[in-house]
Amino acid sequence: MSHHHHDAPAGDMCAALRASILTALPDAQVEATGGGGHYTLVVTSTAFAGKGMVDSQRLVYGAIAHLMKGDNAPVHAIDSLRTRTP
Amino acid sequence: MALSEALRAHLRSIVDAHHVVLFMKGTRLSPQCGFSATVVGILDAMLPAYHTVDVLADPAVRDGLKDFSEWPTFPQLYARGAFVGGADIVKELHARGELQAALGVAEATVKAPALHVTAKAAAVFREAAADADGLVLRLEVSSGFRYDLSFGDATPLDVVVTVADGLRMYLDPGSAYRADGTTIDYVVGAQGGGFTLSNPNEPAKVKQLSPLQLEAMLKEGKPLTLVDVRTTTERDLAVIEGSRLLDAALEHELLAMDRGAALVFQCHHGVRSLAAAEHFVGHGFREVYNLQGGIDGWSVTVDPDVPRY
Repeated sequence: MSHHHHDAPAGDMCAALRASILTALPDAQVEATGGGGHYTLVVTSTAFAGKGMVDSQRLVYGAIAHLMKGDNAPVHAIDSLRTRTP
Repeated sequence: MALSEALRAHLRSIVDAHHVVLFMKGTRLSPQCGFSATVVGILDAMLPAYHTVDVLADPAVRDGLKDFSEWPTFPQLYARGAFVGGADIVKELHARGELQAALGVAEATVKAPALHVTAKAAAVFREAAADADGLVLRLEVSSGFRYDLSFGDATPLDVVVTVADGLRMYLDPGSAYRADGTTIDYVVGAQGGGFTLSNPNEPAKVKQLSPLQLEAMLKEGKPLTLVDVRTTTERDLAVIEGSRLLDAALEHELLAMDRGAALVFQCHHGVRSLAAAEHFVGHGFREVYNLQGGIDGWSVTVDPDVPRY
């Protein structure tokens, strides 16, 4: 009945988020902050050019989906996600 | 996991059946997550009615939607059968003033709520209104059901209700939706006077129970389950007769019970048990108590034979 999060150090998970996004969007600049399962992302990439907010955010969510799967996922919530073009 | 055709068709039928559908954690009156609460707050202020689906109540829908929408988080907002976005996008569209267009809705026309203001309360309002130069009487009911009665400026989206002769109350659309059926009274006690609001839409809350009240309930033979949330080590030191250890088996048993069942939660001092009690209110139980002071208070007030530790 309690919430279980993987207690990996916050910095490690931010680095994992950044690496996953860079794999999908190699030109991206990624700011990942947070901890305790809750993270905030600001992603800047040319991949978002001409795309709406939904499709832009889907690109990012798609890249980090493996970190958000299941009830004990290391990433419990993305508190805020912003996508920008350079 | 691939989305089955049957589930895909089911989800399609839900988003096509309503102009606006919000897939959320919890219900419109009782959101179970901050992101869902935020979106409900925005929509309540804009729409008189929209459909919500509680994904916590249906794991298949919850998992299926992630594939159906290609979106991993909740809430998820649909309008006219198309995905609009999650909490961030709804907030952003709202901030830009583009949400109404995205939802394809005209200016909201919100049904005026039924409000009952007692004669005593009306008299106090009238007296205060005499000094409230040009301001209107406002009632706010937040999405967490906190209340604010104040004098302030009228806004164009306000719903206006005549609550007594010559006395009008202004509510924003979200407050109007949540306030429907509320009775407002004015009660004078030893500490002075104050308004009391009784709102049938308010979700259940944990009720605090003193050791003496619990003793009375047990003597009356009131059907209840006394749940001890402490550890087995602590139960070896002291135990209230009839209490049961909250383990996985008991949790399973409780969650299968009728939501009207009375549950009393107890720990050492009454803090851990409050968290457990709130958890079960979140699961829809309507009569949930927390034993104030825990087993320690029980020992001091009711049964000194129970050892203190």
